[in-house]
Amino acid sequence: MTTTLQHAPTKSKGGGLARRQNFLTALIGGVVFAWLAWFIGRHTLDNTTRTFSDQVAVLTSCGWTVGFWLGIGALNGPGRWFIGRDHTRADDLYYAGENQGRARYWKYCTDHKVVGVQYIIMTMVLLGAGGILAMAIRTQLLTPGNHFVDQQVYNGFIAVHGMLMILALIVAVAGPWANFVVPIMIGAHDMAFPRLNALSFWTLVAAAGLLLTTLAVGSLPVGWVVLAPISNQAGVGMDFFAMAIIVFTVSTTVAGINTIATVMTLRTKGMTLSRLPIFVWGSIIAAALGLYAFPYFLTVEAIQILDRTVSTSFFVASGGGAGWLQANLFWLMGHPEVYVILIPAVAALFEIAAVMSRKPVFSYRTAIAGMTGLAGLSVLVWAHHMFTTGWAPTLGGPFMLTTELISIPTGLFFLVLLGTLWRGNIWMKLPTLWLFGFVFNFIIAGITGIYLSDIPIDNQLHGTMFVTAHFHYVFVGSVLFGAIAALAFWFPKVSGRYLDETQGKISFWLVFIGVQVTFLAMFVSGLRGMPRRYSSYSMIFEHTNFVTTMGAYMIMAGMLVLLGAVISSWRKGEPSGPNPWQANSLEWLVPTPPPLENFDVLPTIKEDPYNFGGKR
Amino acid sequence: MATNKKYSLAGFYWLWFTLTVVGVIISIWAPGYLMPMSMSSNMHLTILTMVVFSVAAAPVAAGVYAATAYLLRHNVYRGDSVPPAAKDQTRENARLTIGWILASTVLTVFLLIWGLGALSVDNGGNEANPLVVNVTGQQWLWSFSYAGTHVQSNTLVLPENREVVFHITSKDVTHGFWIAQMGIQVDANVGTVTELHTTPNKLGTFDIRCTQFCGLNHAFMVTQGQVMTTQGFDNWLAAQPQRA
Amino acid sequence: MATNTLNAQHQEHHDGGHHEPPAKVYGRQKMALWLFIGGDIITMSAMLFTYLYLRGVNTQNHWMSMVGLPVDKVHTYGYYENLANLPSQHLIHVAPMSPSFNWLVTGVSVLSALIFWSAERNLRKNGNRAAFTWNALFATVAVVVAAVLSVVQLRHLPQIYVAVNDSHTLSYTAYSSSMMVLTGSALVHFILLAYLGLAMVVRSARGVLTGEKWFHAGLVRLFWVWVAVSGIIVSAVTTTVNVH
Repeated sequence: MTTTLQHAPTKSKGGGLARRQNFLTALIGGVVFAWLAWFIGRHTLDNTTRTFSDQVAVLTSCGWTVGFWLGIGALNGPGRWFIGRDHTRADDLYYAGENQGRARYWKYCTDHKVVGVQYIIMTMVLLGAGGILAMAIRTQLLTPGNHFVDQQVYNGFIAVHGMLMILALIVAVAGPWANFVVPIMIGAHDMAFPRLNALSFWTLVAAAGLLLTTLAVGSLPVGWVVLAPISNQAGVGMDFFAMAIIVFTVSTTVAGINTIATVMTLRTKGMTLSRLPIFVWGSIIAAALGLYAFPYFLTVEAIQILDRTVSTSFFVASGGGAGWLQANLFWLMGHPEVYVILIPAVAALFEIAAVMSRKPVFSYRTAIAGMTGLAGLSVLVWAHHMFTTGWAPTLGGPFMLTTELISIPTGLFFLVLLGTLWRGNIWMKLPTLWLFGFVFNFIIAGITGIYLSDIPIDNQLHGTMFVTAHFHYVFVGSVLFGAIAALAFWFPKVSGRYLDETQGKISFWLVFIGVQVTFLAMFVSGLRGMPRRYSSYSMIFEHTNFVTTMGAYMIMAGMLVLLGAVISSWRKGEPSGPNPWQANSLEWLVPTPPPLENFDVLPTIKEDPYNFGGKR
Repeated sequence: MATNKKYSLAGFYWLWFTLTVVGVIISIWAPGYLMPMSMSSNMHLTILTMVVFSVAAAPVAAGVYAATAYLLRHNVYRGDSVPPAAKDQTRENARLTIGWILASTVLTVFLLIWGLGALSVDNGGNEANPLVVNVTGQQWLWSFSYAGTHVQSNTLVLPENREVVFHITSKDVTHGFWIAQMGIQVDANVGTVTELHTTPNKLGTFDIRCTQFCGLNHAFMVTQGQVMTTQGFDNWLAAQPQRA
Repeated sequence: MATNTLNAQHQEHHDGGHHEPPAKVYGRQKMALWLFIGGDIITMSAMLFTYLYLRGVNTQNHWMSMVGLPVDKVHTYGYYENLANLPSQHLIHVAPMSPSFNWLVTGVSVLSALIFWSAERNLRKNGNRAAFTWNALFATVAVVVAAVLSVVQLRHLPQIYVAVNDSHTLSYTAYSSSMMVLTGSALVHFILLAYLGLAMVVRSARGVLTGEKWFHAGLVRLFWVWVAVSGIIVSAVTTTVNVH
């Protein structure tokens, strides 16, 4: 591929060592420092206390993270800044991956397009890992009293499955597309802080490493919300989990800051806020919400670690602690977080709806108001996850109020989507297919959420499979569909080829039907009275569980077909040209693949990208 | 080649209406059929609330599905290449938007009023002389002691038509105390006591299931209880071994 | 030299999109820093929430007490470890940490911020690099002192020796725990400031930071002042809101 900027490869001052850093050296660095920390911990800490193994686990995690950062070259920048030898322009171009071909995808590359592709791969890895665990879970629940996996192993699987999928979905749309597409959409050469961009990606990898390690060291038999006090009692898997979250918070904070600063300060001439593609709005709203929410996660996991390593009493009743503290802090993060996950997916779908129906986004301002209102309200609803904890019964009414109010901005999403599609010339390609799937599923997700927001109903349904089915309709039925639609939509921009339509359609129908089969049956399990996080169940839930498992296998089959489509299309799919959908936003007007710094000359914008011709 | 002919909306409205009717029928039938048999006034109200919420949701879901079906029927471009710009390039429709917001607000407020009403009914109506049962959760069983007596039991037996107040706590980790047929649930926490109350109004057995993940045998922390007549309950209580 | 020529070519080749005026870059970096501080504010609030919540809920009346054995100058961890038989454990009340020491740490932090602020201001206005280098060094030394004092604070957190079955450990009540996380967080910020302050000294000494290119000092000053302000807030809350 050619870039419009031709340079002779230059070697900046600084020697060849920094040039050789990549994922392999990161792994080596991480493992070596992890081992060092483990060794030092084991031989200097008092091994008679009951917190010894937790202390060693936390130290090991710190070692891994620092070593990984050193190995990938994340600390080169801060180090050079400290000694006053800043990066030169040649350094910047090197780190942007100039003239390095495919090798740059394995390196600390600051080019936002490379980071975007890296996030695509990482999302697939996390979804795959979480998906394998899902298959194990559903196979265990195929029949009552099954022994597919050991019971405690199962208990650990459900938590790790949950966290892996949450991580995957947090980055599923924002990671690839807020990175790859947004800077081009606003007419910029790159993100505001390209090195922070690389940092956010590789820190995610480090965090994922810690999370996966959990599986190897006794896992996490405490549920993904790691409620205290049971999480205080779990094995060292819990320490790796907590450290994974703390490390992940760094990644997501940095990414959020980068996204907002980029959009606020790097828009090209004429790109006023009201001419921004709606996806950009979704990206910054979600980023801002994430900046608000993740510090709570950081805090709760940090104090969890303190409880486990130095015997503090944050969650220990005998020392004055309270499990409710953990629940409050967790859900202060946890509820906004689901909208951090949802909003980018919805915003991508707004974009797709407009392009695929050849009409402007219906009521652009309502779309923004809806996303903003949702984000704003979401910080006021967290205790609806705690209706049955017995904490503050008097606050039940107020939280019911705020939670039910959320249905209003959420409902506006349907207005915008349907309004955009209405009377359009709908082009039924893969992105559109997944869009319609989203609409079908999101109604079910939303309505079942409203049931749960009502306290008398929640008193019956909390902790049952009804809740699980509700949020799987949100995450799998809605967010995942949006993420796949976004992938199908922007795949041609990244690879120059269409995602294979036939394989894509097969995967869609398998996943779509699979979702209905799996989770409608799961609603029935819950309504009938089956609690969640059960490794086995009574005979009365036998049939619905069997049906659910069959549906899950269908979803897996569909996702595997999709994976096959991604792999085969990337190499030999049908060429698409730079603007297959004939869209107007800037990313479609640059060549495919886009040159290193996107634009030779930054464009001047005169209107929003929703003018498809036709009568206004 | 779709040309955005203005199709009559009658089909859409008919479909909306039909789907709503189907939804309403399912809403009225499904909750009572699928949920456990009601054995308390709480549960009755909860099932009724499920019905009301479902009926209220039916036209919303029906509308979205009817619109989707209508779009798929009339607005899919059937040509080979990029579709032309849609004839209708509407960017705003203030009346529709405001109407939509108003309708969803009205619906939300209605659900909220109903919900708060149901909540206050559930919380109110305290008898002067309820039966008090202390519930203790631990990994992985429930034990019950009847206040004012020395009876401690692993089975929960309750008299019909008398209000019972549960004081619930845990010895080790958080458990979830849930009586599926009575629509009541609250966590059992360490170091604190939480409270539930209900009035069983049907004889028979009920299921207590733990709803908060509590360790290895969480899935087996299930037990059955029984609602007896007042006489039957008194007999049962008298026959229990007295805890020292 | 090849690199310089290339750089020059870049400057001619492209429009101002690549080489923006430093003031513009500073504006962007300031925005990013404010966003980061926003996250830090939430973190601080979460920790203060922890402190206030645990104090308010006072589980089992153990905000400042716990069953165990006293740990002080005489009865240390080692003392109990060497005992063949432990005395029986009883309820130990801990004393609140010294408010004046708390304010001393905050005071040193505020002082270091003021030194750096004035140094940065002078650099901006007078361009005296040597003066800035020295003053930044003083500010850094001050913040290192604050860090050391925080460590002393941490070492003075009241502890209670708890033995349960075979396991025995130094434990902290909810009060001590909350103070630990607040003090520990302050320590982390002081260490970060020490790194930033030293970097300022080095960069200024090497001539990379000057009266014209002062912007990084401006960013460091913003963060330094924020840390001082957060220290004041935390000290105010933890020295006035307490239970003896």
